[in-house]
Amino acid sequence: MNKGWNEFDAGAILFTFNEKVGNISEIHSEDRPYSPSSSFTASVSDWRIEKPVFNKEYCIDCQFCWIYCPDVSIISRDKKMVGVDYDHCKGCGICVEVCPTNPKSLMMVAEGKDEEEVLAAWPQKDQEKNNG
Amino acid sequence: MAEKMELRDVEVWDGNMAAAQALRQAQIDVVAAYPITPSTPIVENYANFLANGYIDGEFVMVESEHAAMSGCIGASAAGGRVSTATSSQGFALMVETLYQASGMRLPIVLNVVNRALASPLNVNGDHSDMYLGRDSGWIQICAFNAQDAYDLALCAFRIGEDHGIRLPVMVHQDGFMTSHTAMGVRTLTDDVAYNFVGEFKPFNAMLDFEKPVSYGVQTEEDWHFEHKARQHNDLMTKVHPKIKEVFADFKKLTGRTFNLVEGYHMEDAEVAVVAIGTAVKTAQVAVEKLRAEGVKAGVVGIRVLRPFPFNEIKAMIKNLKAVAAMDRSSPNGTVGALYNELAGVIVQMDKAPVMNNYVYGLGGRDITIAHFMAIFEDLKANAKAGKVQQPLQQFINVRGPKLSFLSQE
Amino acid sequence: MLEIRWHSRAGQGAVTGAKGLADVVSTTGKYVQAFAFYGSAKRGAAMTAYNRVDDSEILNFEKFMKPDYVLVIDPALVYSSDITKDEKLDTTFIITTPMSTQELIKSQPKLEGRRVFTVDCIAIAQETIGKPIPNTPMLGAFMKISGMYDIEFFKEKITKVLGKLPQKIIDANMIAIQRAYDEVK
Repeated sequence: MNKGWNEFDAGAILFTFNEKVGNISEIHSEDRPYSPSSSFTASVSDWRIEKPVFNKEYCIDCQFCWIYCPDVSIISRDKKMVGVDYDHCKGCGICVEVCPTNPKSLMMVAEGKDEEEVLAAWPQKDQEKNNG
Repeated sequence: MAEKMELRDVEVWDGNMAAAQALRQAQIDVVAAYPITPSTPIVENYANFLANGYIDGEFVMVESEHAAMSGCIGASAAGGRVSTATSSQGFALMVETLYQASGMRLPIVLNVVNRALASPLNVNGDHSDMYLGRDSGWIQICAFNAQDAYDLALCAFRIGEDHGIRLPVMVHQDGFMTSHTAMGVRTLTDDVAYNFVGEFKPFNAMLDFEKPVSYGVQTEEDWHFEHKARQHNDLMTKVHPKIKEVFADFKKLTGRTFNLVEGYHMEDAEVAVVAIGTAVKTAQVAVEKLRAEGVKAGVVGIRVLRPFPFNEIKAMIKNLKAVAAMDRSSPNGTVGALYNELAGVIVQMDKAPVMNNYVYGLGGRDITIAHFMAIFEDLKANAKAGKVQQPLQQFINVRGPKLSFLSQE
Repeated sequence: MLEIRWHSRAGQGAVTGAKGLADVVSTTGKYVQAFAFYGSAKRGAAMTAYNRVDDSEILNFEKFMKPDYVLVIDPALVYSSDITKDEKLDTTFIITTPMSTQELIKSQPKLEGRRVFTVDCIAIAQETIGKPIPNTPMLGAFMKISGMYDIEFFKEKITKVLGKLPQKIIDANMIAIQRAYDEVK
């Protein structure tokens, strides 16, 4: 990426894609021909201290997390929650905050923790909260 | 389809109407404007042409000149042919966005009707605003009368929009002295003018949805210098050849000649003044009188201020013994900008002429043939002595005790 | 080079008159210039407008002028403006006034010994066009005194300049021009 002055497009412009694209809204982001200058090809995973882990068992596909995620890092397909894009998630925790299920379907855990272990030790339903 | 306008071969137009007609004939897509004296009639006339069906385009009314140029930047990045006009305080307010336009390499044509900068407030012509745009990365072309304002506006689109150039262009004309002085302007028919300018060819347009593009990026110390270097390189190496090419085509079409630097009787001149704008013309009258007296006098008119025609000026003034740099802007604490530019040329010459500096015409103050005659008297004395015989900088036609600076004694 | 200075009030049409004259002269192949001094003047403020006419390209952009003709289209400016400024020995003055030339010179002695002609362009304009816009009648008077063009030729040309105005207004202007041509003394 250490281009010389003569190797740029004039005007400091950045192209999103490597090639001409058609109906881009109908192509999933992972299938789009993003260029190296698109933020899609950059990873911010090392910005995280905690990561959200998704537990499909309790998810009601309400899409709140998908709507609220400020980094478009909730992966949803046909209105079904699929998981988290860990290349672009910065670990802000908003998805966990807005998750309405009991117990939560997303939980913030330390970055290095094993996902299987976290799922195995998922919290139980909070009886008090539901009764309240 | 826009309606065509029947024009006579010669129309009596002032500089504003001439520029407005050029915009109409170039069929601008978008004008975003905030009118200011003395450039108001350019955008006013454009709006009139638009309302009467002579243009297919958009007139965007905005709340300031900053917004006007911002609108132009948006429309140009989107992929349209874009132009506007301004003067003075409006130009000053635009300055921040001028650098955006040139940095994004957007070929906007800005008609600058040059006017003094406050304070004190003044609506008349001088070159303070022109000088303010000197380092903005725009191409700056200077008209000396209404005919030039028409011709050069047409040329400006061809120059700036070329895909190898992609830079914004200012076409300067003197406030009132050109903008409100009517003269016989030789016209082109709508078809001939449009064919000369050519259909607008979008380049990296934001409205090209097959090739989405981001304009206005941020670059810090790791990238910024390279982008600025690229822009400077293109200004220094690509723009002059393109201007010459467009001027040559224009001459073929109209017979009217434009050069990077306009010389008047410079072939054998020994003394000359260097100026911009209407003063170039008035100086020519003085030179005619001096020639009749046997004085080898000449005039150098700066047609292209940016990129500065360094080598062309060097060649033109190589036989001069004395030269005067005429600045129509208060330098406010140094020699005039044109003096400085020319000093850069002269320091590289084997046989350099002696040079002095005159500050004239601020806020529309008159410069007359008699003033030029007196200046040439100075130059004759300087040529004879081989050094400047007066203080380096003199003010012309200002009331009060004689004002001069930088005595060389 | 022929040089003309107009004295007027902002709104009386001196700029239009100067440009109209330039337009007519331009059609005959001559080179023209028409300009005015502007400040932030309001309607009614004294102002000046200028014409230059020549057989070759006009290079002179100085505002300074030693006029061959001074056209005054407001009666009061004879007293409040310096209408003889930068005059030449043979400068001709055409002045709008209800007075006779003798009466005018008596009331403004600095016109003594000048080539002065008078015509009441304001009254003519009011009686023909219906508005005190004395610019076109002044051009009629100027044609008579200068002998620049045959009046019929001039009227034909100025009709084209007035172009888009309603026919009634154009007709009234033609009558005004002819009357001033006939009445200037």
